[in-house]
Amino acid sequence: MITAINRPTAVLGVAAVVLSLVTLIGLPTPLQAVAAIAVLILLPGQALARLTPVTDFALSALLVLALGLAALTAVSTAMFYLAVWSWQACVVAMGVITILACVARARQEAVS
Amino acid sequence: MTTTIDAPSRIQARWKPRDVWCALAGVVSLVLTVWAASTVALPVNSDLGLVAVLPYPFWVGLLVLNVAFVVALRGDAAGPASRPVMLWLVVVLVLVLFGTASFVTDVPRGEVAFRHLGIADALTRTEGVNPDIDAYFNWPGFFALLATVLKATGLDPVTVALWAPVINMGLWLAALSVLTGYLTRDARRRWLVLWIFCLGNWQDQDYLSPQAFGFFLYLVVIALVLGPLAARTPRFLGFGRADLVEWWRGRSPAEHRPGHRVIALAVTLLLITVICASHQLTPFLLLITVTALTLSGRVWPSRLPLIIGVVLALWLVYPASAYLAGNPPLAEGGLLAAIDANVVDRVSGTAGHVLVVQIRVLLTLVLWALATAGAVRDWRRGRLDIRVVLLAITPLLLFPVQLYGGEMLIRVSLFALPFIALQACSALLPADDSTRPSARAAGGLVLTCLLLAGMTVTGRFGNAQYDVFTDNEIAAVAAAQRLAPPGSMMISASTPTPWRSEAYLEHRYRTIDFMCKSDLSTPTCGPLVYENARDNAAGAVVLLTRSSEASLVVRGVSNEGNFDELEAWLTAQEGVELVFSNVDARVYRVTP
Repeated sequence: MITAINRPTAVLGVAAVVLSLVTLIGLPTPLQAVAAIAVLILLPGQALARLTPVTDFALSALLVLALGLAALTAVSTAMFYLAVWSWQACVVAMGVITILACVARARQEAVS
Repeated sequence: MTTTIDAPSRIQARWKPRDVWCALAGVVSLVLTVWAASTVALPVNSDLGLVAVLPYPFWVGLLVLNVAFVVALRGDAAGPASRPVMLWLVVVLVLVLFGTASFVTDVPRGEVAFRHLGIADALTRTEGVNPDIDAYFNWPGFFALLATVLKATGLDPVTVALWAPVINMGLWLAALSVLTGYLTRDARRRWLVLWIFCLGNWQDQDYLSPQAFGFFLYLVVIALVLGPLAARTPRFLGFGRADLVEWWRGRSPAEHRPGHRVIALAVTLLLITVICASHQLTPFLLLITVTALTLSGRVWPSRLPLIIGVVLALWLVYPASAYLAGNPPLAEGGLLAAIDANVVDRVSGTAGHVLVVQIRVLLTLVLWALATAGAVRDWRRGRLDIRVVLLAITPLLLFPVQLYGGEMLIRVSLFALPFIALQACSALLPADDSTRPSARAAGGLVLTCLLLAGMTVTGRFGNAQYDVFTDNEIAAVAAAQRLAPPGSMMISASTPTPWRSEAYLEHRYRTIDFMCKSDLSTPTCGPLVYENARDNAAGAVVLLTRSSEASLVVRGVSNEGNFDELEAWLTAQEGVELVFSNVDARVYRVTP
């Protein structure tokens, strides 16, 4: 089953775990910014965009940004309304979303 | 062997001498404009704004850039220059037009970006949403995003606000380039629409704001609607009932795989929800444009307008109910009132300011005239795309519905701009898509682009006398916030004050022009301001900055003599004490 998973899916999932931990632990400012943007926007966006069957590269790249930003907005807003917001909780939530999207993608790959 | 022979020829095909020269021209243009902008001394003391103080190398850089773009766009018989060169020139244009102010100063332009930072900061402090605070807390989506990004990245909020116009334009152009791919296959047209969109973008809505974020998501939704969710229509038979029914039933989906359409619809639904949570106006614009496209038969999920309407209604009746209870959305409106608030009231002030406003109006009219000429040309050739026309026109339907603080025309013209630009391309490029523009047509295009560029720089940075802040003003605001006890009132001359980025909830913020609305003369306004300040239990801090006073003078609300008299009267009152001053600002403490 594991061999059926594409390498990009596995890399995406592992990167989400590693970068989430690194972002939570903390890095010097420029690196922290890069890691946080990756784990909050780019990785979830990429993982969610890969669930769509879009083959057009330009639309796919646009969806990475749009889905990443939209998902983070939805998660942050929900946390504020539920009065459970902290940026660390958002990092964890976005990491979990990325991993779940990777699992869903792996299942798609296993079936196909 | 074949590959070794082919490789250099591919490189040659990719990098023709013309491409290299155009790319180098982009570098030269960027260096010239950045250097020129960095030499501008603050404060800007002209009511014409930045255009009056930008040195000539800036304009030379802009000329070089537009010539390089048109040469690259003209290309050769095979098409325009290579994609990296075209992309590089667009990047340079974005930096030149939307980063100019960032090369002039390290302080974000305009006071609203500071306020938006303050709202994000307030959210992180309260860790919850209290919709009774103000309208922003009824649509907190963008601010929740901003708060999370700022805290997690550790980036300096002011730097983020400073570069937000460049970032937002990058996002908009990315969405627009995908979107135009569904409307035209002509490469020249696709590059030119990005260029015209930048050159016509005087609206100045790309700062750190929910509307900029909402506009990006709007363009993505429209891209999905024109792409995976599009429908193909049969030949239109007529307006008879039977003809319409047959025509409607004859539609077919552009994307034949149902699973793909469902996923595209799910993505669209997420984006619609986030738009509704982030900005008041954008969902309405989305609703009317998607409804128009659906009625034209070009959208396959025909219930999409209903879905948008339901999400919007749910947001209004629950999370935004606190705001709507006191502010009915249709309480103010009407065509005449809208024209008064959006046009007539804005064409006032000093001669330079009126000229700037007129240039903004003229720029919009020039673009609309080009788009109309392009539409007529397309119609005569039988290739007018109804989708482009609908996307350009439908935002205007919202104009008379709500005054939106006199900003509705600015907003609807921004939402129409991408499609106005696309339609204008039909007037600026040869009728046949594959034809290379003649040298004469290219010359005309250069002149048109230069005209638009000059007008955009004038219109966009026309308020620089009061929306570009000096370091002294920032220091005064910091001092005022430090000296103001919690619960005190903070009073400034008018809105262009770079405050509220911190302690958004700790003070009551008021402006003198708001308090004294119709009459800023000392006998009327002085006592009103003084009594308001003294009546506040925790006292008040009065912050008078160069930019806020300039705003009143430039907009014709007051004059320098009047305001000096008002300040002199205020300082003579009991309990008023000067606690901070520098060249550009004074801070007074008023004890209760």
